[in-house]
Amino acid sequence: MGETSCTGRALEVQGLTRAFGVRKALDGVEFELPDGAFLSIFGPNGAGKTTLVKILTTLLNPSAGTAKVCGLDVVTDAVELRHRIGLISHNPLLYPDLTAEENLLFFAEMYGIPQATERVRDLLESVELDHRRLDITRTFSRGMLQRLSIARALLHKPDILFLDEPYSGLDPHAMDILDSLIAQIRGDHTFVMISHDLTKGLELCSHALILANGRVVLFDEKDAIDEGAFRETYRSTVGMGVA
Amino acid sequence: MAGSSWRQFKAILRKDLVMELRTHEMITSMGLYAILTMVVYQIALTEAGEALDVRLVMPGLIWVAFIFMSLLGLNRSFVHEKDQGCIDALLLSPVDRPVIFFAKSAGNLLFLLVVELLSLPVFAFLFLQGREGITNPIWLLGVVMFAASVGISGVGTLLATMTVNTTGKDILLAVVFVPLMYPLLRAAVGATFAAIIGGPGSVETFWAWMTWIAGFDVIMLLIAFGLYEFVIGA
Amino acid sequence: MNRTKIARLVLVLGGMLTTAAFLMTFFWANPSLLPDGRVDFSQKIFYFHVPVAEASFLVFFFTALYGVKFLLTKDRRYDMRAKIATEVTLFFVLLTMATGILWTKVAWGVWWQWEPRLTTYFIMTLLVIAYFVLRNSVEDEEKRAVYAAAFGILAFIDAPISFFITRWAESIHPVVLAGGKSSGLEAPMLITFIIAQIGMLMLGYAFYEMRLHEEELKERLEALKVKVGG
Repeated sequence: MGETSCTGRALEVQGLTRAFGVRKALDGVEFELPDGAFLSIFGPNGAGKTTLVKILTTLLNPSAGTAKVCGLDVVTDAVELRHRIGLISHNPLLYPDLTAEENLLFFAEMYGIPQATERVRDLLESVELDHRRLDITRTFSRGMLQRLSIARALLHKPDILFLDEPYSGLDPHAMDILDSLIAQIRGDHTFVMISHDLTKGLELCSHALILANGRVVLFDEKDAIDEGAFRETYRSTVGMGVA
Repeated sequence: MAGSSWRQFKAILRKDLVMELRTHEMITSMGLYAILTMVVYQIALTEAGEALDVRLVMPGLIWVAFIFMSLLGLNRSFVHEKDQGCIDALLLSPVDRPVIFFAKSAGNLLFLLVVELLSLPVFAFLFLQGREGITNPIWLLGVVMFAASVGISGVGTLLATMTVNTTGKDILLAVVFVPLMYPLLRAAVGATFAAIIGGPGSVETFWAWMTWIAGFDVIMLLIAFGLYEFVIGA
Repeated sequence: MNRTKIARLVLVLGGMLTTAAFLMTFFWANPSLLPDGRVDFSQKIFYFHVPVAEASFLVFFFTALYGVKFLLTKDRRYDMRAKIATEVTLFFVLLTMATGILWTKVAWGVWWQWEPRLTTYFIMTLLVIAYFVLRNSVEDEEKRAVYAAAFGILAFIDAPISFFITRWAESIHPVVLAGGKSSGLEAPMLITFIIAQIGMLMLGYAFYEMRLHEEELKERLEALKVKVGG
């Protein structure tokens, strides 16, 4: 397991609740994740996976409970925390009318990255897009967009990467590239991934979490998990699903 | 912190300018809309013919064109951000939310002013030839255009941030935006009228209306600034 | 006594006061006959129109106030209160418009006149309607509440403008609450007017409380459903 600059725990979540009115998107979620781990979050639609990640990435505030990412509170230390996290989503989060380079330079400005030009060049090279750096991203294939979006997420050298179903909509080739990119950076990042794909999610993770109806149904290290029983638990939650 | 906010402000504004210069999306649609409006005005005014001094209704016609034109630009400016979820990436970055508000407002103000400045001479060319000229100094017109456009862009940016997340965003923006803008538009028409028609006391009247506009700008921008963090975070 | 019972009592009292004021206009407060000796019915509208208009401004203020409170606390109950306050505002605003138009026809000879008070009040009507259009266009409950709060605060700005416009701009609309002696109401008229105003405010409060109670019951039912449903 790798090391990041987060000393100790990457995630500490206590009694995390998110509710508006009577329906609770999250209901007393608790777990801790060690630094350098790879967490896969499973659960049916409406289980609260996206809400959980939005809270951990400071985009939403919890209604009750606390969450610390890298030891930083998601509410009170939000601004500092934003320097430490990156997000790779199934949506590229890039401006289609800007070139690859302009997109990265823009976000480099938002993060206040020193020597942005060099950093952007290096990243474009590492995701093998330097030959397309002056093309607007509207012309990019899905796989190229995903690679560029990984470069965007890595710009400010975050400690924790959040992946929101990064594999959805990718062709097999693009999936392979994403696999190898994740393998490359796995050593010095903590990962939190939302996934619908049990096989993929289990293959990558060191820890697994199943959410249903905003509650933690199962949380464990992968080594302690019996895959058959795990699949059975997952299947039973899909039934309780979309409440 | 102030330094980084200023840098972020410039980055967002520059990004919007680069995208606009590349696509010409807003300027073209707003400009075409302005010309279409003038064609419609021609239809509206045609039966009145020489009996009507167009100068008397011109201030109103100008602002009607400007306000509806601004709706187009405001809508577009957030569709860009929403398209591929860019707004989330923006919110994930360590940027103070009001910086986004000011940068987006500034961009919208710039585009609006450009189209206003381009369409005004066309308007004069099509409707005012052979009429008496403007009696007061022409820069007065610039003052009211700038001041009113500041209010339009500021409040419009806040409202567009909301309506981009709703069903039927374009229509809804008009429904919430136009009545809110009434006091500003009324004063802008008053000031423009005083500037164009002139006559004794017109400069005083102009500045009296300008006080209204300035008051509206200050109050509404302060409120919009205060509300922005809540709205964009929702 | 709980809030609902108080609200019902206030509703009855408010109804009685406004009715009493209406009757008083015929028998006590200056029956001001027309030159030919007939009763001047148009003048009676004043005792309904003005109180309901004043009440609409006041209730609209609560839309903005609860909007602010909601944004500061994110407590859904304030959103509900803001929404209900705006419902009552809409009801009062429509009553004001209806009675105003009747009076305008008699007093000014036209149904509608674009003069400052009427125009700004018309804008306020549109804003109140827009508030509900906005609410209905937002799917997500929390977004809806935040947007409605923000818009309610912005929209309320028109209320003081409309209220004071007859004092600032040249308006042919009478200034009723001018303060001091300039309102020119004789004692019986003034007393009748005050009774009508108090009655109207009580009605506003009662409508608000009863709607709130209804919504709270709905809410409790929802909560029970969620509980039972697991």
